[in-house]
Amino acid sequence: MSAFLTKYWRRYFDFWLQRRLPRVSQITLNQRSVFTFPSRTGLGFIGVLALMWLLATNYENNVVFVFAALLGAVFVVTIFHSYANLAGVSLRIVQIEAGFPGDKIRVDVEVSQQDQRYRDGIWLKFGDGSPQPILSNTGDGGSDQRRAVVSLYLDARRRGKIYAGRLTVETVYPLGLIRVWSHVLLDGWGVVYPQPIAASRQHSGVGDSTDFASDEIQGAEDFNDLSPYRAGEPYNRIAWKQLARGQGLYSKHFVDPVADPQWLDWSDYPGLDREARLSRLCADVLQAATSGRPYGLKLPGEQSALGQGEKHRQQLLRSLALFEWEHS
Amino acid sequence: MLPPWQIPRNGTLWLLVAFSVTVLPLSRHLPLWVPAIALVALAWRMGIYRGRWGAPQRWLKVALIFACIAGLLISFKRLYGLEPMVAMLVCAFSLKLLEMHQRRDALVVVFLGYFVAVTLALFDQSLAAALYVATAVTFVTASLAALHQTSLDRRHYRPLLQSLRILGQALPLMVVFFLVMPRLGPLWSVPSPGLAMTGMSDSLELGDITRLGRSSQIAFRVDFEGEVPSREKLYWRGLTLSRFDGRRWTQADWGHSGGLVQWQGQNSVWHEQAVLLQGNPVAYRVTLEKHGGNWLYSLWLPQIHSANTGLLRDLTLVSPEAVTRRLEYQVTSRPASLLDAEGLAAVRKRVELQLPGNSNPQTLALARQWAAESPSPEALIARVLAYYRRDFYYTLSPNSLGQHAIDDFLFRSKQGFCEHFAASFVFFMRAAGIPARIVAGYQGGEIHPDGGYLSVRQYDAHAWAEVWLDGRGWVQVDPTAAVAPERIASSLLDLMSGEEIFGDAPFDLARFRSVAWLNSLRLGLESLEYRWAKWVLGYQNIQPALLAKWLGGLESWRIGGFLLLASILSLLPVIRASFYSSKLEKTHPADRYYQLFCRRLGKAGCPRKKGEPPWRYAQRCGQILPTKKQDIEKITQSYVTLRYSRGGGNLAELRALVKGFRANRINKF
Repeated sequence: MSAFLTKYWRRYFDFWLQRRLPRVSQITLNQRSVFTFPSRTGLGFIGVLALMWLLATNYENNVVFVFAALLGAVFVVTIFHSYANLAGVSLRIVQIEAGFPGDKIRVDVEVSQQDQRYRDGIWLKFGDGSPQPILSNTGDGGSDQRRAVVSLYLDARRRGKIYAGRLTVETVYPLGLIRVWSHVLLDGWGVVYPQPIAASRQHSGVGDSTDFASDEIQGAEDFNDLSPYRAGEPYNRIAWKQLARGQGLYSKHFVDPVADPQWLDWSDYPGLDREARLSRLCADVLQAATSGRPYGLKLPGEQSALGQGEKHRQQLLRSLALFEWEHS
Repeated sequence: MLPPWQIPRNGTLWLLVAFSVTVLPLSRHLPLWVPAIALVALAWRMGIYRGRWGAPQRWLKVALIFACIAGLLISFKRLYGLEPMVAMLVCAFSLKLLEMHQRRDALVVVFLGYFVAVTLALFDQSLAAALYVATAVTFVTASLAALHQTSLDRRHYRPLLQSLRILGQALPLMVVFFLVMPRLGPLWSVPSPGLAMTGMSDSLELGDITRLGRSSQIAFRVDFEGEVPSREKLYWRGLTLSRFDGRRWTQADWGHSGGLVQWQGQNSVWHEQAVLLQGNPVAYRVTLEKHGGNWLYSLWLPQIHSANTGLLRDLTLVSPEAVTRRLEYQVTSRPASLLDAEGLAAVRKRVELQLPGNSNPQTLALARQWAAESPSPEALIARVLAYYRRDFYYTLSPNSLGQHAIDDFLFRSKQGFCEHFAASFVFFMRAAGIPARIVAGYQGGEIHPDGGYLSVRQYDAHAWAEVWLDGRGWVQVDPTAAVAPERIASSLLDLMSGEEIFGDAPFDLARFRSVAWLNSLRLGLESLEYRWAKWVLGYQNIQPALLAKWLGGLESWRIGGFLLLASILSLLPVIRASFYSSKLEKTHPADRYYQLFCRRLGKAGCPRKKGEPPWRYAQRCGQILPTKKQDIEKITQSYVTLRYSRGGGNLAELRALVKGFRANRINKF
């Protein structure tokens, strides 16, 4: 029953929050978007206050009354301090890293302020994740001190786009008595690649013989040029002919063949379902990226260019991640 | 970075400071082992902080806990009371300081710190003590702030500044809260601190008053309605001591309940018979500090006006219960009145003549001899006083006396304090057949120049005698005045050198009365203390009247409305500061130097027009100041590069150029 109520309440709260704080690309916190309530420490503080008042009453001691009143006033004053510490802070997602399922995906959140207030003790977290403090604002007055980037991590679960959930930003600064917080929903999404599953040997050797006999071509003698020998170059690169002619010590330089493409094709894996094929293609991309040859990807309805390098690899992985993906 | 449950190093540091400041003054009021345990905890935590020691082993912590429990049980018969409570709190404070691993432990320490800091006010309500508590609370708040900072700010003192700022902002609201906070009166009876009481006791043994003479604490303050009587008339009677057992003088047991107390509003038969009121009345109001006894002080032959005060048969004042907090009462005295002039009942005469058997035989013999030789009691009294005057002298540090103390004093040492003179005189009178008793109280006091009130301090404590003479009733005789008339005409302080009196309080300001500015400082502080006592310490007495006067009534809506309105008003600066903060400066750093440059040019006769582009301005100034044309162009070039080309320019260069730029006003021929 209580579980049901909790769930119902949770849903109602989410709905309410959705209306109050919808997804935005950047938010500057203000009195409409933050919540303020005594923290657990604050409640303890009120308990101490009550005991102090009791002490003062029983001993009819006005000095103790003075300090009970002072602490009560401190409590009230810190409400404003805590509020001001969070209000006026702007939040924006700078970027969300890409990753594989099971990875922690890094989310860079930019925290900035437009005013000159000294701020401290602001913590950010996603859901139940571990909170991260904002550290840069040490009030030294430099122009970049008003802007900080905090890295948080999301759990990558399944292939596709990953959206940052509600980001909890909270502070109990300066005395820990009042908790001021907000749950903001920020624009920005990252990419989760398919889970790479290495194809079995038979599969990987597959293919029509358009798959190049790379071993034969590997040692290509595609002579390019000569250059003065530098210490450390292997002896078999020394241009003996030129040396014998008395022209001096040169080394020979070769280039790898340009036209030696490796195509990773959707149709390489017949009989598997979409996710399984994507997983295998993903593993192939990772493998091809280490082979040192240009490679490309053929998916139904799209075909990538051939290419090499980190950027190319990321692009292929990304198209695998987003292939026929829909938000669920 | 620290996870949120860890204790920041700075937090530990400030906690250690707060701990020391908080516990230090309490050690005076607690058995010695309590500060000792606090010191162990402090030293150990310091060791942990500096990385020298590890956390204490389990057995050590258990041993400390048992030491605390055993100490509490041994030091205090019962654990119910103020001292045991504070001792227990300090123990818990110390042990928790040792047992501090996570931030929530540190928070418990902070809360204990607040509580322990405030308990000092239960022992001492003076303004100085309150200021000390305020300091302690500031440090505790600083440690609370330090526990919640995350920035790696190198400035260790930052939490203290923050604490001061927050407490400062809280002060106006504190006043509001203090004014309206309900004063319900004790919810259950609490034992009062016994240790803090200083003052006269209800019995007297030679040497007691000498001890009081070394303290400058206030005993009571008096506001006179009219003129303050002259000093030598200010004999503040506290109690009369009629019973003597050979060592101690105590009050005769007339019984407070046996109809011999006339409470305010009553009219007893004995009062009408025994008292003949005459002479000019002197009206005054006494603010008595707590002293633990139930007697009150008044001048000769008082009439009472305050509820809960009563007159004893010897015409001293009492309160129905012990004075454990500051008490105010109103009295009118008539100094010329007579008491028991019509005669003294036999039973009372017997009491006032009582002497212990076989004590002080020498005095006894001499008294009988002189009584036989004297024509009248007055002549005898005069002879005894003359004897004192001839041979005796007055001192604060009399020799110790033997078993027959009065014999020793009268015939051998011949030096003593007021109590020696009073006791020996009363003994002598009784031996000679004249009813006599000792009066314990205070003599004199210090008239405050501004306040129009008199403060009577512990060193004004005095003992004198009253003898009963046929037809005149009780007559006051002060044998000390015979020996040291200046003791009565001026205060003890003026009489004695400072060092001799304040053996235990070397920095007492009263010691430096001869230094004029120190003396005026002392009087100023005293006046402050008086206001503090009147407005703060006694606030519950004036609260209803004050609030009714301000608000026009005491209905809850008035008080609630006042609370709300006054709170908002007192918080206005804080609210303002929390909603508005000055915007980040958008000006480029180069602008500052350029503006300085423009000001200098302006002074030289070429002010910049509003919104004038730098190059046009430079051109114009170049024509006005042809000698500076090159410099002006250079600076403008540097500024424009800095300001308008991306990442270009050199700020230091511009700065140097501007600083070095001097343009003199052009001379007009």
